[in-house]
Amino acid sequence: MIPTTRPRRAGRLGAAAAVRASLAALAASLAACALLGCASKEARVGLFLYNQADPYIEVFARQIRDESNSAFLAVQFDAGNSQLIQNEQIEAMIAKRPALMMINPVDRLASHALIRRLKAEDIPIIFFNREPLAEDMAIWDRCYYVGARAEQSGQMQAELAMSLFGNDPSGLNEYDRSGDGVIQVIILKGEQGHQDAELRTRELLRSFEARGFSIEILAIEVANWKRDEAYEKMGALLRSHQDRLELVASNNDAMALGAIMRMRQQGFFKDDDQSGKVDRFDDSWRPVVGIDGLVEAEESIREGYLYGTVKNDSLSMAKAMVELARRAIGGPDSGELHYRLQDEKYIWIDYQPFIR
Amino acid sequence: MVVMSLLVSLAIFVGTLDEFAESRSSEINKQIVMNYEGYINSVIETANYIQFASFNLDLGRDAAALEAIYRSNADIKSDVVSVYLFDGSGRRLIGPQLDFGTGNDIAARPWFRSALALEQVFHFNAEPQTSIAENRDEGVIAVTKAVEFLDGGATEEGVLLIELDRQAISDLARKSNLGQGGHLLILDEAGALLYSSEPEPRAMSERSHRLAAGMYLGAERAVIGGQEMALNVNTLVHTRWRIVTVSNVNEINDARARLLGISVLILAISIALSAAAAGYVSVRISRPIGRLKETMLRIEGGDLDAPIEVSGQREISQLSHSFTSMVARIRELMASLVDEQKEKRKTELRALQNQINPHFLYNTLDSIVWLAEHKRNKDVITTVVALARFFRISISKGQTFIPVEDEIAHIENYLTIQSIRYVDRFAYDIAVPPEMLGMRMMKLILQPIVENAIYHGVGDADGRIAITGRLEDGRMAFAVSNTGYGIGEEKIREMYDIMRGGGERGGVGIRNVYQRLKLFYGDAADIRIDSVPDESTTVTVFMPAQPGQEG
Repeated sequence: MIPTTRPRRAGRLGAAAAVRASLAALAASLAACALLGCASKEARVGLFLYNQADPYIEVFARQIRDESNSAFLAVQFDAGNSQLIQNEQIEAMIAKRPALMMINPVDRLASHALIRRLKAEDIPIIFFNREPLAEDMAIWDRCYYVGARAEQSGQMQAELAMSLFGNDPSGLNEYDRSGDGVIQVIILKGEQGHQDAELRTRELLRSFEARGFSIEILAIEVANWKRDEAYEKMGALLRSHQDRLELVASNNDAMALGAIMRMRQQGFFKDDDQSGKVDRFDDSWRPVVGIDGLVEAEESIREGYLYGTVKNDSLSMAKAMVELARRAIGGPDSGELHYRLQDEKYIWIDYQPFIR
Repeated sequence: MVVMSLLVSLAIFVGTLDEFAESRSSEINKQIVMNYEGYINSVIETANYIQFASFNLDLGRDAAALEAIYRSNADIKSDVVSVYLFDGSGRRLIGPQLDFGTGNDIAARPWFRSALALEQVFHFNAEPQTSIAENRDEGVIAVTKAVEFLDGGATEEGVLLIELDRQAISDLARKSNLGQGGHLLILDEAGALLYSSEPEPRAMSERSHRLAAGMYLGAERAVIGGQEMALNVNTLVHTRWRIVTVSNVNEINDARARLLGISVLILAISIALSAAAAGYVSVRISRPIGRLKETMLRIEGGDLDAPIEVSGQREISQLSHSFTSMVARIRELMASLVDEQKEKRKTELRALQNQINPHFLYNTLDSIVWLAEHKRNKDVITTVVALARFFRISISKGQTFIPVEDEIAHIENYLTIQSIRYVDRFAYDIAVPPEMLGMRMMKLILQPIVENAIYHGVGDADGRIAITGRLEDGRMAFAVSNTGYGIGEEKIREMYDIMRGGGERGGVGIRNVYQRLKLFYGDAADIRIDSVPDESTTVTVFMPAQPGQEG
């Protein structure tokens, strides 16, 4: 079990307390070592999560811990969506001289101060989930980022849709229900102003445009990443656009699932061809695409409702982070790196399209 | 002990208070940062709301609606000076009239360029600048972000600008209490000073700025302007800025000193209370126990009549009660022991007194028969009379003590009988001073000694026995001496042994006397034996002079 701690106090002022705490921690870890044997776990790595209440992050953190199992001892902290708390946790961890820190910043701009601070302590950092600004990353050669390119998810989502429509902008297939050569789409957007929501939406639209597909945006609705909100808002949207709707593109799976629930109530997703199951060959079926790869989304895809999703490959990210950490701690000879390290700083993990 | 515990608690308190000061300065910093974060978040929300409200509105068709959205958001928030939308080249699309001359260089302004250079984030520019709006002269902070907008059906990229009144930052700073000389700084990512809450002239900011330039997170202590200050650094949300709070540790220390004072007071009071409690325990338990102990020691020393105090705690008084009854019981036992002893001594005395030699009676009766056969009537009469008197005195109505006079008469009777029996074998003298005659003495003391003198000492025809009495140092001394060969040292030692109960043979008479004397008089009585070889032997009996008693 990995402790999730919220240190009471941080700062160099608390050095005495920190020394005491670290002695206690040392004693505890020595005791643990004596009991369990942990020759390879001497290195301690701080794992800082922006918010453990985010199920994606919770799974991600577990994958990191599982992967790090033999490489080092990961000590996990939950910032509860507060950069202030995360700052405190990082300060407290510095006093314990970890070999490395894995940080999922609450505020990506705070990374600037974090990089400066940890550079002074010579504690390497692997950022994940939220990418610091490139100019901040350039401050130090021992800070890394492992993640996916946010724009790729939007692009990949567009590609899923385009291939369903026949991959030929000038000759759309039967999914262009109106046969007008234009795809009528409703876009469900995450949070207004949210980096990912903006990027995914923009890249989705740009990808259609770049490939020469004509689309007509029936509506862009902000549903704040939430299933319930998408369900509510989809009701009004369907009343206006039900007859013309040909595609629903959602910034995430949760909203896509909310939309499907509403669509089923409005007469979509019926077994029109009496095949015994709902699938894309039914007339009332409309493609809905999401992003994230939630377990529920995969189920929905297998059941024939959700057409596809774009998975954030957190398992590969976790593996890459652990390999990178091992190298950052022990040097280039300490294990193979199976991922490309761009500019000696970035490891990009591709999103994975997921359809039936 | 008390001093030790006092010092230890002081040390712990000082340590705790140090931590208290540290955590307090860090808490103050956090509180301030949260205030600013709240403010910045509200600005971001405003920007997001404007974008959200402008959604699907086309600048070509819905210009009036868009203008209204921008204006209302600028009006609602008092600290928002203006809200603008510029196109990618810096041309004003929405927002109030620009100040004369500013319209041309919008695209060159840093806040405009940075917004387009990095699209995903908000940009906060706090360089000294006044509002670009006409007739507005407030110092402002420019918040910008690249946004997309619809113009004639086409999606265009532009820049959203929100001008914040700089005053808002100072207002927030004023809310915080950093103590005497305490202030807060806001530094940009390059470490440049964006804001200092210290009023002009800034005596301390320069130094605290220099110290904070190398700090990115956490806390440090430093002396600034003669004051001990705690510097706490934190990040500011949505910006790459840092907030540095410089708080006066001494003031926290003042609070600390107060706390320390109170703690010492509490400690002193608790010590006093403990002492009082100890005193109470002492009064109620220790002291009664001490008194009981003293009494016990006195009783152990033999003073059975020492008074026993019964007071104090229930347990103590129970103890005293038990002790009292125990002492009473001991007293009873001792009294009965003394009575028994007295009784026993009386019995012994009586038994010894009654050990009248039966041979004496047999011999006397034998000599009376012999005298009668020889028709010595006078001697028979004398002997019988003397014998009668002898026995009367012996019996003495059962009394143990008789006048010296009677004792002497008793000896005379005895000597009379013996001198008749041993015809003219010895002569005797009795010389007792008249003042002694009235005194009382234990009866039948002298007769056995005289008997001894007759049997052992009188050898020759003209032997003499002298009985003399005298007073010596408040004691009566009766010396019985007889002429003869005398006895040697060895014989004297043997006699002393016999008197004290050693040896078996003979001397029953003198031992009887000695033991009776010791039994009653103890050390006050004694028997001494002196002998002059070929001349005489003297046995002297000493006993306390007891005044006579009439009636």
